Amino acid sequence: MRDDPSVITLVARVGDGDQGAWNELIERYSPLVWSICLRYQLNRQDIDDVGQTVWLLLVERIGSLREPAALPGWLATTTKHECLRILRATRRHDHEGLPPEDQMPPDPAATMIDQELITAERNAALRAAFAELPRGCHELLSMLISDPPSAYADISATLGVAVGSIGPMRARCLDRLRRSPHLTAVVGDQAEGIGVKENQGRAW
Amino acid sequence: MVAEGWDDDEALLAALQQALRARRAVPAEFVEAAKNAFAWHNIDAELAQLTYDSTRDSDHALSMRAESASIRALTFASAHLTIELEVTQDSLLGQIIPAQAATIRIQTSAGTETALSADEIGCFSIHPIPAEPFRLHCQAFAGIDVLTGWVTL
Repeated sequence: MRDDPSVITLVARVGDGDQGAWNELIERYSPLVWSICLRYQLNRQDIDDVGQTVWLLLVERIGSLREPAALPGWLATTTKHECLRILRATRRHDHEGLPPEDQMPPDPAATMIDQELITAERNAALRAAFAELPRGCHELLSMLISDPPSAYADISATLGVAVGSIGPMRARCLDRLRRSPHLTAVVGDQAEGIGVKENQGRAW
Repeated sequence: MVAEGWDDDEALLAALQQALRARRAVPAEFVEAAKNAFAWHNIDAELAQLTYDSTRDSDHALSMRAESASIRALTFASAHLTIELEVTQDSLLGQIIPAQAATIRIQTSAGTETALSADEIGCFSIHPIPAEPFRLHCQAFAGIDVLTGWVTL
């Protein structure tokens, strides 16, 4: 994922002052920041504070980011750091008078951050690939994964296709999704024999 | 060779469903606030880094409880200017070093900006304390133009 050309392009456009590119980065990576905050069991107010700090830091530093593709890793690390800072500050107020070592909360979620990062990058890649599918495929797959899933008869009526061709269309659309450059960027790391996890660790 | 079983149609469809669900789980206001942060992208000033924060200093935390109204102390330093901040119960006291008159602008993460003056010995006071993340933009004579990092109190 560190070589995902779309991330590199987005970061370059943000550096040129492109609000649209910034919005796209936020669409992609706000779920990563959000999910890490949930891992630390922060309340909504604290999550908003962490979010603000992380995005403001990003605005400030994105121009000097040496390796744009390492952005998701930077976001994960920064979010984690801010979550811990808030937790420590909260603990200090709740337990005044405790020795300093007791004021430091343990960091049970730290080992899960790697996993959050990998999941978030895969999810972002899937959403980006999905967004670029032709309209017919987009509609078909949306109906298939709606909750509850649409019946083939409804899909047939809505999209105006024969029930018998839904199965083959589904297979074709999924194949198209699978071949998206966004997904092959994720897969590329593994094909090179580099584990995603190890790769992300280096990107930090 | 596809990651995570994505070569399987069912697995790929389930992964896509999961990815869209993860995006829907993020509140709209959270995403909106993040997009608005871009308003601060094009500020051309020297950045002052946080060099001291009393909340990271346990000796200071102990001494504070004993004495004054000061709750927290912060120091930002750049090549040309140091800004010291002291948080009290209801206001924020600041001093610019070396001492000089300056214009201080308080920029909040919500995009608002308030200006005030530092006197000849570089002292200024902010009241009330900003409730949201903020930073200070300090402009003095001789072209000094310094911006602190973001602070959440």
